[in-house]
Amino acid sequence: MGSTLLLEAQEVSKYFGGVHACEGVSLGVREGTIHAVIGPNGAGKTTFFNALSGFYYPDRGRVFFDGEEITRMPNWRRIERGMGRTFQTPSIFPELTVHDNVALGVRSKAGLAFRARPPSGEQQAVLERRVDELLGFVNLVRFKERPVAELSHGSQRLCEIAMSLSTEPRLVLLDEPMAGLAESETERIISVIRGLHDRLGLTVLFVEHNMRVVLGLAEMITVLDRGRILAEGTPSEIAANEAVRDAYLGKEVLERV
Amino acid sequence: MRFGPTRLITVGVVILLALAPFLSPLIHVDISIVNEVLLFTLAAMSANLLLGYTGLPPFGNAAFFGLGTYGAGLSIKYFHVNFIEATLLGTAAALLGALVVGPFLVRRRGIYFGLLSIAFGQVFYFIAYRFTDVTGGEDGMNFARPYLGISNFHVTLHGSGFYYLTLVVFVASILAFKLLVESPFGRTLVAIRQNEVRVRYLGLDSNRFVFVAILISATMAGLGGALFGMLNNFAWPLLMDWHQSGDFVLSVILGGSGTIWGPLLGSAIYVIGKDIISSYTNLWQIFIGALFVACVLGFPRGILGSILARFGTAPLSNESEEANWTQSPAIAADHHG
Ligand SMILES: Nc1ncnc2c1ncn2[C@@H]1O[C@H](COP(=O)(O)OP(=O)(O)OP(=O)(O)O)[C@@H](O)[C@H]1O
Ligand SMILES: [Mg+2]
Repeated sequence: MGSTLLLEAQEVSKYFGGVHACEGVSLGVREGTIHAVIGPNGAGKTTFFNALSGFYYPDRGRVFFDGEEITRMPNWRRIERGMGRTFQTPSIFPELTVHDNVALGVRSKAGLAFRARPPSGEQQAVLERRVDELLGFVNLVRFKERPVAELSHGSQRLCEIAMSLSTEPRLVLLDEPMAGLAESETERIISVIRGLHDRLGLTVLFVEHNMRVVLGLAEMITVLDRGRILAEGTPSEIAANEAVRDAYLGKEVLERV
Repeated sequence: MRFGPTRLITVGVVILLALAPFLSPLIHVDISIVNEVLLFTLAAMSANLLLGYTGLPPFGNAAFFGLGTYGAGLSIKYFHVNFIEATLLGTAAALLGALVVGPFLVRRRGIYFGLLSIAFGQVFYFIAYRFTDVTGGEDGMNFARPYLGISNFHVTLHGSGFYYLTLVVFVASILAFKLLVESPFGRTLVAIRQNEVRVRYLGLDSNRFVFVAILISATMAGLGGALFGMLNNFAWPLLMDWHQSGDFVLSVILGGSGTIWGPLLGSAIYVIGKDIISSYTNLWQIFIGALFVACVLGFPRGILGSILARFGTAPLSNESEEANWTQSPAIAADHHG
């Protein structure tokens, strides 16, 4: 396990009017780990992700990626630097096919998206191979030519994960990748997240409500509550933590572990 | 995939347009009106690039059209340039205008883009309106149609000669437009229309794409405007007015936004409909308005868009447009820092 921090947040705060959605949140994600952020509804998890990924900038605090300060770097540039992200509500191109959804990111990575000239036959073949590879990874090859809007919620999430991988990130942020999914679909996502880490060697930071999933997947867990960090530690430390037990709704789940 | 109907439409339309000088007398329409349709269409296509593909409401494109007209007209009047030079200068004037206003428009989305476009458009309108000494102001400006300017060949085109020249430019523009929207760049524009946040989270600076789309749009409108000026030998300020922009947008929606041929269909209905109806009554606007309402109700994606959707080949719909109507912080974030 590497010990360098790939992503580091220092005292990040974000306010919406009087709401302190995020208040002095510090966190370090070590390269090559799976790190989870948990917390009850409205704890500020998404707000924190938004500040980390440049959806908006934090009001206070600093963010570093791979040693470089990115606090006010435009979001698209963070992607260029090796960040990828999914959203709580899948962010996709609903009318485009699964193939075209993923192909845009592949073209972006290859520096071809801005071109008025179509890719050469050779370039196109490389792009197609890459798209197939990504769709194979999330097991969506059979839906390749279908508009994403027609897919199940779970498949849309998988498509979004493939899109976030299309730019070849080193770190992926996944905001509740299993929210609203049936049990079987949840299993698919879990194995994909394992694959991100085990097969692709990526660093993963994810938000999740389901305690069983979090304790099974993450090496490190940060608990947010009302915008602040309540606890941080390994799954066994978090499972044993009194404050977490009190604050977190999934009490019963914790007891079972 | 979608070559079948598209190629059929293309061949049919081009044949029809090539025969227009012989066909239009049959419906008592002067060829200059058909000529006007083609040039109006260039402006509508330029609006379509922004509205139908990029998802931005182009309520100032008449200014670019008018810059083309005045650019050509003024350079003919004061510098006695030939036809080709006038066309290029008019087009360049529109591009220059877009280079000036583009940086301000590029960060706006939805209704804010529309309102700022109107505001900039009205600035150009008022310049033409006020600068009476140079532009003739409210009365407009006459200028002679220049000779063509190909290799000392001193010929001035009239009637169907002018029409066929326009047709060549038009067909070339349609082909270029088709190549553009099917290119990686064009596909990125469509993606921006559907979900700009995701485009940015795929590592693309969407503003850069929007800026270039504005420049291309203005250039197309300017080209149409320059030829339009020389068709009428006249330029007048109302060409740049926001009502005129509205007419272009209307034609796009009528024909089918986000389609290659929709703007031509919409412009043909608008221009020819106006010509025919206004020969019977001064209240032509009411009829055009009623026609528009009927079309929107009967063809929610525009006439061509709805027909193509029925055949399952419509490249785009407008369903996700509302999503782009307000500015997302992910896009706004860029200029706070
Ligand atoms: N754009 C916004 N404008 C105003 N308030 C906001 C905004 N975004 C979030 N908030 C508020 O900030 C707080 C944190 O919200 P956030 O979405 O980050 O929570 P969360 O932990 O992701 O919750 P959930 O588990 O429901 O997704 C909430 O009180 C929310 O209402
Ligand atoms: Mg959330």
